[in-house]
Amino acid sequence: MEKPDLLRTLNEIYAEEVEAAIRYLHMAVTIKGMYRLALRDELLEAMRETMDHARVVAEKVLEMGGVPALDLKVQLPGEMTTGAEAVRTAVAFEQGAQEAYADLLEAAAGDVAMEEFARAQVALESEHLAHFRLLLEE
Amino acid sequence: MSTYEHDPVSHSVAHHLVAIAELLEEYGYARVTDVARHLGITRGSASITLKSLEQKGLVTYDDRRFLGLSEAGRQVAESIQAKKAVLRDLLVRVLGVDEKQAEEDTCKLEHLVSARTAERARRLLDFIESGSSEARRFLAAFGRFRKDGTGGTEEKGR
Repeated sequence: MEKPDLLRTLNEIYAEEVEAAIRYLHMAVTIKGMYRLALRDELLEAMRETMDHARVVAEKVLEMGGVPALDLKVQLPGEMTTGAEAVRTAVAFEQGAQEAYADLLEAAAGDVAMEEFARAQVALESEHLAHFRLLLEE
Repeated sequence: MSTYEHDPVSHSVAHHLVAIAELLEEYGYARVTDVARHLGITRGSASITLKSLEQKGLVTYDDRRFLGLSEAGRQVAESIQAKKAVLRDLLVRVLGVDEKQAEEDTCKLEHLVSARTAERARRLLDFIESGSSEARRFLAAFGRFRKDGTGGTEEKGR
């Protein structure tokens, strides 16, 4: 893949991570019901970790000579969230991130450092995905 | 409560369904990634909306997570695409709006316009495109009126 395409992929992941962090924060503060106690801290921890991923990806963009760019279209309603809704949203975002890093791995073919970074992130996101999917099971 | 409030197809839902239809037509397949890029949103956002559309029976996933439209989803997408085409033609050919502006405005209206209104607009376009002398006079008169407000020459003096 050409450098501009790789930069585009990285910036897409940057947006993916920042939006996920915003959503984790919003879900953490709007979660209701008995799962609030169990999930609020989990979601806040996911927010911190996701924002850290965003920072690392932004640094990768800079390393490649690009400039991190964010184009977010996110509207979060002023409504409380149930535990199941929050976890389903987390699954959607973890899956999106996992696929995005898998695309990066493919796009970075030949760039060993970028490949290793993408591979590590795929593994990490897969763990998160499995974790949230388990929470959804009855 | 108005029919508008009953309309289950929101702006976002319309865009997702039409995106899948366009991707299937152009490439023969559609994934969450493709829909997200097509709409300029994150995969996470696309995934959340698509999941809810799956629950509503409008979108399908196969084993490899490729997207499809159910019969109901296909009908909604086709209806929106048809309305979009009519509105765009109306804005460009009759009102003289430039293509880019027409595309933007159509995007905002396509899911809100009723089938009946879209049909009336289509009939107007059919009349205008019929090439009859009345249609040519109508377009010419409207063109003049649009420019200087004096297109209706035959009505002058009445």
